[in-house]
Amino acid sequence: MANELAALSNELAAAVEQAGRSVVAVHARPRFSSSGVFWREGVIVTAQHTIRREEEITVTLPDGANAPATLAGSDPGTDVAVLKVESAGPAAAARACAPPAPGNLALTIGRSEDSGVNATMGIVSAVSGSWRTWRGGRLDHYIRLDLTLYPGSSGGVVVSTAGEVIGIATSALSRIAGVAIPATTIDRVADEILARGRVSRGYLGVGLQPVELPDHHKGLIVLSLAPDGPAAKAGVLIGDILVSLGGSAVDDTDDIQGVLELHPVGQRVEAVVLRGGVSRDIAIVVGERPRGN
Amino acid sequence: MRGFGEIAERLRRSTVQVGASDPRRCSGSGVVWNSDGLILTNAHVARASEMQIELWDGRRLEARVIDRDPRRDLASLRIAAPGLEAVTPGDSGALRAGELVIAVGNPLGFAGAVSTGVIHSIGPLPGMARQRWIRADVQLAPGNSGGPLANAQGQVIGINTAIVNGLGVAVPSNAVTAFLRQGARPSLGVTLRPVSVGLEILGVEPDGAAAAASLRQGDILLGSFDDLSDALDSGRDVLPLQFFRGNRNKVREAFVRLPAKVKAAA
Repeated sequence: MANELAALSNELAAAVEQAGRSVVAVHARPRFSSSGVFWREGVIVTAQHTIRREEEITVTLPDGANAPATLAGSDPGTDVAVLKVESAGPAAAARACAPPAPGNLALTIGRSEDSGVNATMGIVSAVSGSWRTWRGGRLDHYIRLDLTLYPGSSGGVVVSTAGEVIGIATSALSRIAGVAIPATTIDRVADEILARGRVSRGYLGVGLQPVELPDHHKGLIVLSLAPDGPAAKAGVLIGDILVSLGGSAVDDTDDIQGVLELHPVGQRVEAVVLRGGVSRDIAIVVGERPRGN
Repeated sequence: MRGFGEIAERLRRSTVQVGASDPRRCSGSGVVWNSDGLILTNAHVARASEMQIELWDGRRLEARVIDRDPRRDLASLRIAAPGLEAVTPGDSGALRAGELVIAVGNPLGFAGAVSTGVIHSIGPLPGMARQRWIRADVQLAPGNSGGPLANAQGQVIGINTAIVNGLGVAVPSNAVTAFLRQGARPSLGVTLRPVSVGLEILGVEPDGAAAAASLRQGDILLGSFDDLSDALDSGRDVLPLQFFRGNRNKVREAFVRLPAKVKAAA
């Protein structure tokens, strides 16, 4: 009769129990705590937008104990923050080997100090390839969740019904739905934060506007230059039209972000600009985006 | 999945509408707890001593309220109708987060509406004393109050009671069992709101213990919900309560005589 349903119910509860062993409550903002996940030994990841203070952060561990945590760093672009704690935490949970497919069931598992582990269920409603967030970071996949994220759910782990980790949940990257920050993106961001304390983003120091060129090509006209910025130092002038960067044609500011991701801070990138109708090659040394920018 | 449909159909037959004697005022849902006419609902649904019950087959019956526990938000009612289809209570103590649940009720007057989801968490609610509540990731609406929340086996594991931050909140079935066995716990007969210094009295029931001790609307009791809850459960007949009335520099004291416990007259 209802055996199939009871079996699914048990599977869901087992997935929550298993994944819940690595989920903590994070106390870093007024009123509502958020959730976080043990990602490596002594390392917890959570949603950056739920971290409202840099000091006196505590976490409620899976065994119910409270422990102090320090903020190793955060990346608003991908909404990932990394915390360090004394406790090693459990062994890392199994990862989903491929991104989920739309329609797959998914659970978000969080924790609160009062009532322990909590769960919400829904489906994955859309999956695509690499996606740039409105905050400027890049996720390896866009994974939209059709499930309710309650206050405190952000930072919780998103798992399949088999308990395999898909990523962590955030309500801050989309106005219409919860999004799972993919596990591979978290790995990349956590690596950089743990190595350098922050995620540095490439910077040219130019304000750009797309323009149509006479031969139906497009380019980006330089409207402003940061004084002593990387582009200004390389000799770029206001009014130059940028048509190529790092060997690829650019006709949108997104293209610039894409090229900068392939060129670490300090590396030279070849730019082609039109000045007075004449094409010029300029080498720009990629700078680091000033913090808080 | 056919399981949900079957469970929903069986729950519908055990779910009733509970209303005030004025039929235009629909107030909530209720659960047929045993086949000889015992109905369970929320205390906030069964406000009067007589209520109207409408069974799933459309029969309307007068119900007598037997017992109310406003602190646990439970009430038991009796109707004179033998051979009802009763629910099977489950063990709420064995619930786990993530389990599938199904709610049946009469949200916004729509009879027998079903919603499904999972258990979100089980534990105390901040500021609502130490008792445990079930929180469920299911969509509820006001008329769901008093209706059943069941697990994947169709066993009733809670009575839907409130919506907090979008989550359905239910009284665990084990608390229902305790209420039926032990009767209502003593209560002050007041509506309270937490304020910075204590608990403000928003309303006083005319026949309640607080009214008899001359406590009034606007008085502020010193202490927390937890303290008050512990005091009420301490077994004492008379409780000294400290409070402010207007002047916050002067602590007043009232002695509240709690009503002698009446065993639920089945």
